[in-house]
Amino acid sequence: MHILQGIDMVQVSKLEKMLLASPGLASEIFTEKEREYCFAMARPYVHLAGRFAAKEACLKALGLGLSGEGIDSALQDIEVVAGISGKPDLLVKGRVEKAGGRRKVCQYTVSISHSGDFAVASVVLVAGENCE
Amino acid sequence: MKQNLIAEQRVMEEVKKAIAEGIDIDPGRIKPESSLMKDLGAESLDFLDINYRLEQTFGIKMARRTVIDHIEELFGEESAIDSDGKLTGKAVDVLAMRYDGYGDKIHAGMDMDELPVLVTVSSLAEGVESLLDTLPEKCSCGAQEWKLEDETRIVCGACSEPASFTSGDELIEEWLKQVQEDKKIF
Ligand SMILES: [Zn+2]
Repeated sequence: MHILQGIDMVQVSKLEKMLLASPGLASEIFTEKEREYCFAMARPYVHLAGRFAAKEACLKALGLGLSGEGIDSALQDIEVVAGISGKPDLLVKGRVEKAGGRRKVCQYTVSISHSGDFAVASVVLVAGENCE
Repeated sequence: MKQNLIAEQRVMEEVKKAIAEGIDIDPGRIKPESSLMKDLGAESLDFLDINYRLEQTFGIKMARRTVIDHIEELFGEESAIDSDGKLTGKAVDVLAMRYDGYGDKIHAGMDMDELPVLVTVSSLAEGVESLLDTLPEKCSCGAQEWKLEDETRIVCGACSEPASFTSGDELIEEWLKQVQEDKKIF
């Protein structure tokens, strides 16, 4: 059994400015559920920034990362859901799930925090032959 | 067909503008050979922003999946990334062709997240041009009279519909199939 980890930090005001200038970009990055959840909050961009950081951290943990060419739909394959007690969980599908399967990931965990103008997310993946 | 409504220089200007607005830097700092990440300090959010701005400017659809993804779909799992998450020698050969002139920076065993360094102002402009060059001869209404609207949008002169270009994903797939036919890499 081993651990894969990824961390990412996002400037809330930068994401906000970007999404206000290009509203259509939100649906390229966030799933419908994520948008519904975040835009119902008093400070939606704080929550969106935390989710973006979580997606990036998850891609980093899997050694994927963004290519810089085009608009990577892998971001849509990772969904942050508010679990019981409010602790966030990661749901993965599609190519991200496949990449995780190849690296024998059996557990996805995420932790998100905000302070001032920054949101940070840390993703830890448990992987191995016999882990549960 | 190779379109001639939007000049190469115009594409380059729009790419520089998208980068300057996306990263919020002085356009004077942006050179064709600048690496967006290494020289201009672009982060992943900036890449999304810049690509999205270019889509809106030209009415094109950039790739939603990476070249690596397309290689694996066409030529099988682990054809581009090995089980340790590193690039395979075959993927390196393909990428070296794609990023002509940067071949020495790409090597087997490199991490996927080193790839964005290869994206330069001119590689981005070439990407936009290759999408614009998929302009069909005729509009779906049958007319063959493309015209330019708002300086960067190609529309049909008869029905005013925007031109439908090949998408970035389709273009990558076509290119990979051609490379495979010519070089038999996989
Ligand atoms: Zn028409």
